[in-house]
Amino acid sequence: MINLIEMSNISKSFGGSRAVDGVSLELLPGTVHALMGENGAGKSTLMKILAGVHQPDSGQIFKNGHRISFNSPKKALEFGISTVFQELSLLANLTIAENMFLGREPLTRFGAVDYAGMNAQTADALAQLGLTLDPEALVSELSIAERQFVEIAHGIKADASIFILDEPTAALNAADVDVLNKHIRRLRDEGKAIVYISHRMEEIFEICDTVTVLKDGRRVDTRPVSEMSPASLIAMMVGRTLDDLFPPRATETGSVVVDVKHFKIDARSKPFSLHVSSGEIVALAGLEGQGQQKFLRSLIGKFRPFSGTVTIKGELLEMPVSETSGIRRLHAAGVGFVPEDRKEEGLFLGLSIADNIAISLVSERGEMSIARRYRDVINTTMASMRIKAEDASAPVSSLSGGNQQKVLLGRYLAANIDVLLIEEPTRGVDIGAKSEIYRLLREFAENGGAVLVLSRETIELIGLCDRLYVIHDNTVVAEMPAGNASEHIILEAALSA
Amino acid sequence: MKLEPAIQPRPATRITSLLSGSRRKRGRQGLWLVPLLIAILIGIALALQTEQFLSRENLFNLVAQAMPLVITAIGQMFVVIVGGLDLSVGSTISFTTAILALDAPGYVLIPAVFVLAALIGLTNGLVITRFNVHPIIATLAMQYVILGFARMLRPVSGGTVPELVISSVAGSFLGIPMPVIWGVVVILIAWKLLYGSRFGLHLFAIGGGVASGAEDAARNFGIADRRNTVIAYVACSLFAGLAGVFLAGRIVSGDPNVGLLFELDAITAVAIGGTQLSGGIGSLHGTVIGALVLALLSNGMNLTNISPFVQTAIKGAILMFVVGLQSRKKMGL
Repeated sequence: MINLIEMSNISKSFGGSRAVDGVSLELLPGTVHALMGENGAGKSTLMKILAGVHQPDSGQIFKNGHRISFNSPKKALEFGISTVFQELSLLANLTIAENMFLGREPLTRFGAVDYAGMNAQTADALAQLGLTLDPEALVSELSIAERQFVEIAHGIKADASIFILDEPTAALNAADVDVLNKHIRRLRDEGKAIVYISHRMEEIFEICDTVTVLKDGRRVDTRPVSEMSPASLIAMMVGRTLDDLFPPRATETGSVVVDVKHFKIDARSKPFSLHVSSGEIVALAGLEGQGQQKFLRSLIGKFRPFSGTVTIKGELLEMPVSETSGIRRLHAAGVGFVPEDRKEEGLFLGLSIADNIAISLVSERGEMSIARRYRDVINTTMASMRIKAEDASAPVSSLSGGNQQKVLLGRYLAANIDVLLIEEPTRGVDIGAKSEIYRLLREFAENGGAVLVLSRETIELIGLCDRLYVIHDNTVVAEMPAGNASEHIILEAALSA
Repeated sequence: MKLEPAIQPRPATRITSLLSGSRRKRGRQGLWLVPLLIAILIGIALALQTEQFLSRENLFNLVAQAMPLVITAIGQMFVVIVGGLDLSVGSTISFTTAILALDAPGYVLIPAVFVLAALIGLTNGLVITRFNVHPIIATLAMQYVILGFARMLRPVSGGTVPELVISSVAGSFLGIPMPVIWGVVVILIAWKLLYGSRFGLHLFAIGGGVASGAEDAARNFGIADRRNTVIAYVACSLFAGLAGVFLAGRIVSGDPNVGLLFELDAITAVAIGGTQLSGGIGSLHGTVIGALVLALLSNGMNLTNISPFVQTAIKGAILMFVVGLQSRKKMGL
């Protein structure tokens, strides 16, 4: 069969890291092509290249054998490539019809925008999908599912032949998923090519014809789905060995420090319980965005959970935690929170290392008291963390990612903290800094601290932690000692739940 | 991963849903019925207070007084919908009157006014879109520059403006007072621009993206966002120039201070009219109503001997009330 789209030897780097490395992909008309891989395997980057959001560093794209190139989603759409992203791209303050025709509005004889014609054609396109939405409804009034259908209708209207669906079902309920699958099959029967990114195993086997597995930015293999089983697919997605990066695990643990009971993230999710003891590092593992971050951020008030009781060091934490004062109160109780995005949420990039470390100490004092310099504390922290910088007055923005992350951690280790909640402890840091951060966290635990960590890198959680909770669909689906865990076991626990 | 905010956005109040106007593009027009009610209430209060208010003479006077603000506010609205702000319109108005009072024939001065106004808007737009300067700073700087030019041309008020300018705002045509004709023409032009052209739709699209924090959302649809933003600033300055011509005709001279603080009144009118200053939401009729609310306040003050300070306080209270009613997801303009 002649391919519709061929992506040949595509590579793309962000900063120093290779997100996509020499990947080739062929899309055939009338097929649904699943793209699978662990978090950060390069699926979304590859599809953003095909959608015109990113431009590849090298490699070529062919449509019907002709080389094509484009630099915006609009140009990609002109080549017949339509995308439904996780983050939706519709404009909420425009109507459905206006979104459908934006950038290529039909005009009346008098040069005005032909709203009547736009609305009629939009109603047609929506009707083709079996939707009865009002073309004049504002997108802001639509549900997530309706918005996704509108995006698909947008592609149909633009006569697209390739549809990219990036985790389209992540925000949908079962009934909407059925409707979506029906539309996907219809598009396939009309000879369109569909790329389907999803973590839900059953959907892959239900509607996909071919599957390509990516790992660390490279293509592992492309196979017909009929030849695969869930187990063999998971095996293709993992298959890496543990590096010698990690310090030895805890031999003994103390009393329970964080105790969570009957916790429900939202009204529909199953309740779960978990605990963290002093001296241990506990992970929230599983696929990305399954509720790990929502749970962690419930504890500091950045997310409002449905219900649950949380006891920290014997004291009941009132739920929901106040968004404005939550972190401050937890801090006073000896709990530190290290956010995922150190540049946006964690560090004051323009301030010095010293200020960034001392800020938590300063914030323990009254608002009107004079800020102490804490020179000795800062020097000890910098030395023990081996932060590489000229001196403590250097601005944090001048440091490498690894050293920035150490400064952020140092802030909490310098303060009197004995519980650490950490998101993505080693995001964007090199391998050397990673191993030092692992050592620091282990030392913290050995001195009686308790650590609760979440990360996209499952391998890191297995190596670093003592115990893992696998989270899927906003609840804990498995608990296991990290010593027995593997990527395979975790993925299977998550996907078979 | 995007998290739901812990504090859910305030749901649209009952008032919002009851008064949100027609089904079509509901919610994009902003809360314009509230200021309409306010305008009607002020009107009723004034009519009960003094008989003069409803007199033909006073109503025409009201329109003539309101017109410079209506025109300026309409221009400001284009910039606000696209997510910007223009603080230089007051100076542009003063500058316009100063130019019109120069010693030269009208057929030279009137075109010159609009060419210069367009240049001011072009500079504003280019500085904002090309050098990524915040609109408040870019247009604040322009406000000083143009104010300086106006005072250089005419340090104190004086001179005379061309006869054509004076006659265009005085008297009537076919029995209709000239200010009313001005109003109708300006509103028709703005209506065509905002609702009857791609340009207007694209302004809403760009502003909607800016307001939701996705600055390139409109660009991804293939919209020339920078060029349209620049055109919005040019339009804003041209409307300010038009307001300056009208004012010059009324005061029959050039005055370097006549437009002082006009930009703040224009922004107030836009905001009272339900247009959100973060962009993407607003309406022409709301803007006109907002300007009329302010005009009614000052007209009422003239008629009833209420202290101008009370009027200022009421103006602020209305602004606070109306903007507080709008539903927004996060702290915004």
